[in-house]
Amino acid sequence: MRLPEIERGDGVANRLLISLISTVSGMRLPDAARVAFYHRDFFGTPMGAWTQAAMRGPSSWSVAERELMACMVAKWNACAFCVGAHGAVAAKEMQRPVVNEAIADFRAAPISGHLKSALAFLEVMTLRPKDLKAEHARAALGAGLSVEALTDAIAVGALFGIVTRYADALDFALPTPAEFERAANMLLKRGYAS
Amino acid sequence: MKVSIRPDHRALAEALRLRVLEGPGETRPELRLASAERAAGGPASEARFDDLARQIGEAAHRVTDAQVSSVLTATGSEKAAFEIIVAAALGAGLSRWQQAMKVLDEVANAPARN
Repeated sequence: MRLPEIERGDGVANRLLISLISTVSGMRLPDAARVAFYHRDFFGTPMGAWTQAAMRGPSSWSVAERELMACMVAKWNACAFCVGAHGAVAAKEMQRPVVNEAIADFRAAPISGHLKSALAFLEVMTLRPKDLKAEHARAALGAGLSVEALTDAIAVGALFGIVTRYADALDFALPTPAEFERAANMLLKRGYAS
Repeated sequence: MKVSIRPDHRALAEALRLRVLEGPGETRPELRLASAERAAGGPASEARFDDLARQIGEAAHRVTDAQVSSVLTATGSEKAAFEIIVAAALGAGLSRWQQAMKVLDEVANAPARN
């Protein structure tokens, strides 16, 4: 269920900001950004700080690889908004067919072995967290991931385990493919910090 | 000179947890914490909030308007309902974070075998 206060913004400054960004970008500001502005001190600020660090901070993973991880967590959690949003960002640096192949079957997709190993770990973490054991970490490290790289992937998995849940609970409106493209440009340029 | 400092994910996760589950808000921290624990597979929380928190943890794409509406009625404000929703989402995400880091630490900190 959508909350009207998130739609219109809480406070005059946020309402003006939502209106301004929508006008300048030529599209309705996506709900993910509206949530980032809403009740910001309570949630948007600390959530944005971790998300920005995980998705854009120093890491051995490229931005596109991290966006693909977010997209895959969204797929496993059946969150159409996040599949569209983060698949579109990943496709800015990877080829769109590669992203689509990964969404269909990441094990068969033309992506690196390291990324497949991280996704295999994230799949268990997302879908069967109680089954996640040391053997899964051992397999990822054995495939050549560093502890730091797996930690970075786990952070993405945890964050999008959160984002996908509030996106669906708050019934985020689904942008058109063209709007996802434009929003992807904004996410690449501006990042996640609110 | 550009210096790249790795993100301290543990500190960032803890800052988020502290703010949302223990910090000031329109709802009681105990209620947010109970919703987070419920979404992470924990015990039932207050009846008026339990169904939504459980649903967010299990399958958020199946959350119904009635489940959110019930919490909105119980809390009396959209901001308070939002706090319950993000607390539950956080509980599910952070429980995965903790489990994943636990198994990684087990392997990373294990004594090397000769």
